[in-house]
Amino acid sequence: MKQSYIKEPLGEAKPMYNAYNEAMTELFQKNDRIVLLYGDFPRGAAGEMATKGYPDRVYDVGIAEANLITVAAGLAAADKIPFTHCHSIFAVGRGYNQIRQNVAFDKFNVKIVLCNTGMLWAFMGGSHQTIEEITALRVIPNLVLLSPADPAESKKVAQAALEHFGPVAIRLANPAVPTIYRDDYPYELGKAVTVTEGKDATIIATGIMVAEALKAHDMLAKEGINVRLLDMHTIKPLDETAVVRAGKDTGAIVTVEDTSILGGLGGAVAEVITENYPVPVKRVGIKDRFGQSGTVDELKEVYELSANHIVKAVKEVIKRKKK
Amino acid sequence: MIRAAGLGWVGGSFSQADVVTALVFHHMKHDPKNPQWADRDRLIVSKAHCCETVYAALGEAGYFSKQEFDNYGKLGALLQAHTERTAPGIEYSGGSLGQGLSFALGEALAARIGAPKDPSGRPIPHYRIFCILGDGELDEGQVWEAVMAAAHYKVDNLIAIVDHNKYQSSGKVIERINLTPLAEKWQAFGWDTMEIDGHDFNQILAALERADKTAGKPHVIIANTIKCKGVPSLENKNVHFCTLTDEMYQDAMKALA
Repeated sequence: MKQSYIKEPLGEAKPMYNAYNEAMTELFQKNDRIVLLYGDFPRGAAGEMATKGYPDRVYDVGIAEANLITVAAGLAAADKIPFTHCHSIFAVGRGYNQIRQNVAFDKFNVKIVLCNTGMLWAFMGGSHQTIEEITALRVIPNLVLLSPADPAESKKVAQAALEHFGPVAIRLANPAVPTIYRDDYPYELGKAVTVTEGKDATIIATGIMVAEALKAHDMLAKEGINVRLLDMHTIKPLDETAVVRAGKDTGAIVTVEDTSILGGLGGAVAEVITENYPVPVKRVGIKDRFGQSGTVDELKEVYELSANHIVKAVKEVIKRKKK
Repeated sequence: MIRAAGLGWVGGSFSQADVVTALVFHHMKHDPKNPQWADRDRLIVSKAHCCETVYAALGEAGYFSKQEFDNYGKLGALLQAHTERTAPGIEYSGGSLGQGLSFALGEALAARIGAPKDPSGRPIPHYRIFCILGDGELDEGQVWEAVMAAAHYKVDNLIAIVDHNKYQSSGKVIERINLTPLAEKWQAFGWDTMEIDGHDFNQILAALERADKTAGKPHVIIANTIKCKGVPSLENKNVHFCTLTDEMYQDAMKALA
């Protein structure tokens, strides 16, 4: 059963980055400590506005992601609040040691916006599809990792990242996604949002895959299977209470992500559930393979990320439940 | 300090000692009683393994008790084997080479935000950032990312000092990645470039003063130094990270006496 704050029908599909930029335009004007940093990355509304009105508070360092992340740390050391923007694959891939050593080690107040995150930056192919970012980032101490589900949540996350003192990474996917939430929905950093309530199993999804999981929920409902759907918008710190409660209340869990299941959201949930309340778990996500070019729908099929695949996984874990 | 720990970064600490001394005791604007003073000059030691002479200078200046020297590198110590910001006066937690100049650039940009401007619109920041880099460290690509960005944004409150002692961890710099011509490289990248004897205080201080007077460009001082300067028996030997033997210690104490 859908919660009252879920839009019915869902809103028009829009890019998360646009929503984030709308929120940032407002936050930037209100808070003069915010500095926008880019690594040769199309700036969007916030960057354009900053360039025109506040040239001291916006810098593009070019195709140099290592420098981008460490410059941000230096700004934070001088009490600024830098938001870095570049493609996720390069922030995580080229800037990993910088995120670890220069940002997280000293708990600097740096916000790392991971643009075009995950597998579904479809056309760009395997070189640009980040399958490892959740796995790679969630093992870094002090770092908070946020993964909004829709445009509405992207705005909430921009605000939440600013309010949290310390390093935060934010995943923003490329494809347009429908708005799932009404504006008054309950968002709190570190607390999963219950999208639907059900007793047969729980789907724990993150990012752009929450909308896909919601489709799966609707398909299952038609067959009389009622699932709880949790939007795990904060990957770290993980809402362990919600995970364990899902195990206790529904007895089976399916995780859904557009990144590697090895150490990803699936790995994180499996760690918590095995130690606290073992129930059957199935992980929907990238199964130790690189990506390739295609359309979003084609990739969802090939990499087994579609609503159909989620439905299949849910039925499988329900079968494995203890009678 | 190194005697108490039993081992340390002997060569690179000694080669930069004169530059560190000139900065901390003669040139930088700072207050050991108020390490977080907003308008202080910052010292970013990118070659953060060479922490011992930095700790010695900061301890002498009064940032922390000199008794901390005896705990250097021990479990729970304030003074870690690579500089960490938890120690008063330390501005940068290093250890991963090639990153300090980017960090210094971030601080230098921050200093320009909201700073007063001269008639041409150039910001006049309240403080300067000094960044000591190793020569071996210049192999790292990120250094040159920062070099280009600093020149692009004309960050003239940033002063890099290369401790050019000609050795890196595994041998001579010239035999690993030849940096020659080093000064010309920095110059071509748009930096105000100076080359000095890094053990001559007059030259060090003159170069630092010249940097203050040259506007519109970041500054680099290539300090030609001698690895393990001050201990004749070890000078120009690649004493990088080593156990300090009794013989080495006695030689050093004799030379420094």
